Amino acid sequence: MALSAAAGAALALVAAAVAVADQAGDKAISRPAGSIRGKVEVGRDFGAAEPRPRISDLGMSARRDPPNRRQSVVYLETAPQGAFDDPGTMRASLDQKDEAFVSYVLPIAVGTIVDFPNRDRTYHNVFSLSRTKSFDLGRYARGQSKAVRFDRPGVVRVFCDIHSHMSAYILVFAHRFFAATDADGRYRIDGIPPGTYELNVWTDGSVRETRTVRVPESGGPAEADFVVR
Amino acid sequence: MAHIGRLGLRTGLVWALALATASWAYAGDALSTGRVRLVLGGEASGSAAFGDEGWFNETEYNRSVVHLARFGVSAELRVGEHLALLSEVRSENLDAPQVYALYVRLRPWPLRSFDVQAGRIPPVFGAYPRRRYAADNPLIGEPLAYQYMTILRTDSVPRTADDLVSRRGEGWLVGYSVGSPYLAPGVPLVTATRWDTGVEVHVGSEPVEGGLAVTQGTLCDPESRDDNSGKQVSGRVAVQPVLGLVLGVSGAQGDYLAREATRSLPAYSRGPFRQRALGFDAEWSRGYWILRAEAVWSHWDVPAVAPPFVRSPLRSTGAFVEGRYKLAPGLYVAARLDHLGMSEIDGSSARVSWDAPVSRAEAGVGVSPRHNLWLKAVYQHNWRDGGVVRSQGVGAAQISWWF
Repeated sequence: MALSAAAGAALALVAAAVAVADQAGDKAISRPAGSIRGKVEVGRDFGAAEPRPRISDLGMSARRDPPNRRQSVVYLETAPQGAFDDPGTMRASLDQKDEAFVSYVLPIAVGTIVDFPNRDRTYHNVFSLSRTKSFDLGRYARGQSKAVRFDRPGVVRVFCDIHSHMSAYILVFAHRFFAATDADGRYRIDGIPPGTYELNVWTDGSVRETRTVRVPESGGPAEADFVVR
Repeated sequence: MAHIGRLGLRTGLVWALALATASWAYAGDALSTGRVRLVLGGEASGSAAFGDEGWFNETEYNRSVVHLARFGVSAELRVGEHLALLSEVRSENLDAPQVYALYVRLRPWPLRSFDVQAGRIPPVFGAYPRRRYAADNPLIGEPLAYQYMTILRTDSVPRTADDLVSRRGEGWLVGYSVGSPYLAPGVPLVTATRWDTGVEVHVGSEPVEGGLAVTQGTLCDPESRDDNSGKQVSGRVAVQPVLGLVLGVSGAQGDYLAREATRSLPAYSRGPFRQRALGFDAEWSRGYWILRAEAVWSHWDVPAVAPPFVRSPLRSTGAFVEGRYKLAPGLYVAARLDHLGMSEIDGSSARVSWDAPVSRAEAGVGVSPRHNLWLKAVYQHNWRDGGVVRSQGVGAAQISWWF
């Protein structure tokens, strides 16, 4: 279920990469930039994603805070002209800490290099078999980090080969008009030229909501709140 | 026919329940109410092979690890920080499910690495039995010390040394004249297909940890019920001098002969008849490599029934090294070299090893189209210094899926 939903989201992201909508065609980046901001309220319980039972262990495993599966990413389905201009190399980080990826979802733009630092006292082995980007970083210790460059838009599911309960999403966008929600569910996408856009909300493997939002000619902020059920 | 129909219905219901459970577990969600949480997981695997007319991969249950369909569901019911109930139920070759593990885990002090487990518990001896799941075994075959059946039985004993050595290499189905009159498989040095019943404590965590267990059965024959009024004591100490390197030393001693065998013995041949074992295990991993090695030395006290007597104890040594290397995301190669040796005894005509020594080389490849799905293909060659089939090549494939 989750994978098929992820595939759907991947298609949406790829579509965003290749489609510059007619309605967006007349929106020049040079016009006064506006923003879209709001709050995503996730009313649905996605569960705790607990580690599998460790039947063959000789002792109790430590309790860990489960990943925040309610964290969402809000992004423009179609982006303005000029949005695909090469912004230069960007870097992001997906930490491994307390046997979890921090954070559960990482939105990045195409061309971004993501560092995977190990901040635990044990080995981790980050890998992905996603079509968008497959990689295997091997086992490395605390204080060490390896990096991967993401050159194609899409959804990348990331796992640890040693700790089966560790997983995360990297959403690779062809443009820069996206934002992850903070702990309160708030988001803000800046630098958007005036115009009308399709705004998507992605939560835990799927696009959950879509809405049309208009950024005013004055360049002021547009508000868009969502409730994911 | 009606009986078969009822059996089919019951098996069908069990499988429907198992699949429903798997579906829930696959979602990866815990069922939680207050301080109580229930988490499910499991594994399904299927293996098929050509070859092995020499029964090199048989297990004690008359099953072959290279011809096996297995479905298992594990559950952990955790109550707060102190208590958990764990269980694993398995069905092999579509038979009725069996309880493989069922025990209570108690942690008196949540912040201290001290745990007590009681019930049908995971073994403390060695390293391989706790990573026997298909997803944790880079190959399909199992190490000889943990799988290969010797000609020794716990419920039946040979009358003479000649009686014993005449069965060399026939551990897949063997019988003797003292004790149980039925033919049955012999025992391996350490049984990885069943867990023992008892109590164990575990202390410490990386870089030093240790476990000690008192159980009903022995390494070669774990039991859910006592069959000889004896207990086994086993333990293991492991150290991790540097990250990625784990060294373990294990030991065990316990009465292994069942009453069914000992009550038929002559008065001058009384026990105790013990299995004593010493084990060493090592694992080193870094980057794309995992290297493992284990050695098990086992001694069995055997009764003297009639001349020429079986010289006690019988000794056996199993050792293997294995390695896995990842070539690319979702692709690895692996290999294992394995040997099982036996001590020599005097028969009436010659001095020979009490069972036929066996060597095995296995190599294969694993492919993972999804993170929880593995496809493996291996070739295994076995050499045995006795028995009808002395050299045997086996090709096998396996699919395994965990959730």
